[in-house]
This record gives sequence, structure tokens and C-alpha cells, in this order.
Amino acid sequence: MFFDFHIHGDHELVIEAEKLGYHGVALVHYSEEFEKQPNLLNSTADNKKIDKNTSRPLIQKGVEIKAKNPEALKRKVQKFRKNSDVILVQGGSLKINRAATEDPRVDILCCPYRRREDTGINHVLAAKAAKNRVAIEINLKYLLINRPKQRHRVLSHFRQIVKMYRKFKFPVIITSDANSIYDLRSPRDLVALATCFGMTSEEATEAMSAVPLEIMERNKLRNGIIVSGASLIKNENMK
Amino acid sequence: MKLKILPTNLREKKRYLVFQGISEIPLEREDVISLILGAASELHGSCGTSRMGLWVVKVWNCPDLGINTIQGIIRCNRDEVDALRAVIPTITKFRGMKVGFHTLGISGTIKSAITKFIKLKHLD
Repeated sequence: MFFDFHIHGDHELVIEAEKLGYHGVALVHYSEEFEKQPNLLNSTADNKKIDKNTSRPLIQKGVEIKAKNPEALKRKVQKFRKNSDVILVQGGSLKINRAATEDPRVDILCCPYRRREDTGINHVLAAKAAKNRVAIEINLKYLLINRPKQRHRVLSHFRQIVKMYRKFKFPVIITSDANSIYDLRSPRDLVALATCFGMTSEEATEAMSAVPLEIMERNKLRNGIIVSGASLIKNENMK
Repeated sequence: MKLKILPTNLREKKRYLVFQGISEIPLEREDVISLILGAASELHGSCGTSRMGLWVVKVWNCPDLGINTIQGIIRCNRDEVDALRAVIPTITKFRGMKVGFHTLGISGTIKSAITKFIKLKHLD
């Protein structure tokens, strides 16, 4: 059971993803898009356009937050958390990487290595990501859009993340970040590609199946949490 | 004089990978060969590509499946199937236009590759 939790696009992409073997996808919109269209998340949930002949894949509503500083990030996470299924934070700056890994409301930290010489993740952030269960994204589009001569640098970043993942056990998620049908790849091919940066096929499969499932499970429980460590359990038999 | 064929125990064991590709411009067999060999050299280098024993067996245009859609079969050595499978998603552009390839399946013979993964009605 494979999931791709970072797709920018419409239902046409969902149908293509389903043909390639994905069981579910997260349709992600940038946080800036909500300023122009506040009802964007409601339209994402409406999957009536999908052909009835195909078995409908699971669609999650996602928001990719771009923030300039940690305060703005917290505000935006607070704003979008209740209405969306998956919260992604665009990383790159060290302050944002740190704020995202410290916040348990964040699901995925996207590209902490974006426009950086290093991976953007050290042992401190890795430990925080493991504690707060913030998944670190391995973004394959970032690898593939780079010029072939620069790919070695991205591959070494991925290798470094995998090394830390084995030590600190934070969740790692592999995504395609597709915004057209040309960017979508078969999940089995991505598992094979993941072996190029040191992941075993079991680890890669877990990054595309178990980690998204864990995010969905956590989001189901999230509404009942009163404070950290205490949650409200609804018993339907009690009246 | 033609060389005598190797005995079966000395021949390389082969596998056939069936792929499908979509592109913004029509692709010919020569284009597919250059795309796959180029991507393999970029990802694994000359040394790794030589180990794979790549050969593009056949490429079909499949207009029924969509505009500029192709299907084809690549032969590779049995031990290097995963390495070839990793090459397929790295093909992203051809002459500045977007292309996307994905694997349909892997088979031991050309005959079974065609019957299992390529629907005959789409063939030219």
C-alpha cells in the first residue's frame, strides 16, 4: 500500500497516481493560495470528478506552509491545522527547520536541505523530529530537477539523512512533489531509486507506506487531545 | 567466420523490463535508446552501465493509451534489474520537453513480457 503525500495538482493527477499503483495521495496547496481562495480545502475534498470506474484513491487535504520566521510559522500552523489533514512546512532555513521539528502539529518537514550546502538537519533536530514524530521529506523532484552534474550533492544529502534516520529513528517520507503527469513515478521504481542513496528496499517501502499511514492515524487522534499526554476518548455506547 | 555460440552456463542471465513513457513530443526508438543510456550513465557512470548489459529490444507507439505514449522492452543482466529500475524514474527531459517513464513489469522472456504487460491491440 503506497502513498504519495506531496502532489500539487488536481484530480487528473490523482487518477494517474492511482493507475501507477498509489492507494492514496495528499493534494497539497501552498499557504499563499488560501489568501486568494479561502475555500480551497473544501474543493480539494470534493472528489466527484473522479471517474466512477476507477476505485477511488484516498485523498488527503494538505497545506504546504512557507514562512519567513518561526513566529509566522506557528501562526500559520495554528490557522490551518484544524481544516487540513496534512501540514507540510517548507524547510531550508535553519530557524524554520528547528521550529518545524519542535512542533508536534507539523506532519512533514519538506526539503530541509533546500538551497543549502549541508542537509539542514543535525543530531539535535533529528532527536526533536523523532520525539515529535515530524517526518523528514526526501523529495525526489528536488533530485531530478537538479542538473545531472549537481545530483551527487543531493544524493549525499539524502545519504546523510538516511544515516541519521537509522540512529535517531525519526520518520522519513519519500514524495514525488509532482505538479504534472510527467513528474509522477511508479512507487516500485522509487523504491529502486532509493537504494541509490543507501536505503534498503524495506526502509524505502516503509517510507512510502507505513509513515503516511502513521500520519493519518495520528491525525484521527489529534482532535481528541486536550493537552500533551491526555486525550478524550469517545465511547459511542455511553449515553 | 561467425563465433560459436556460448554454452548456456556461460551466457549472461537476462531479464526483460517493460516500460511505458509519455512525452510532450513524439519519441522514436533512437530517442529512447539515447534517453535510457544517457540516464544510466548519469546515475551509475560508465562502469555501472557496462555491468547492466543494456539493450533496447523493441519500442511501440501506443496512440490508444494517450498522445505521445510509447511502450517498450529493455534487456538487462539479471543481477542488475534494480539498478535499471532506478534509472527509469530519472528520465525527465528530452530536448527541453518533459518526459516521464515508468516500469510496467519485469519478465524472463520477451514472449511473456509482451503477453503479460503489453496489450497486443495497442501494437502497430
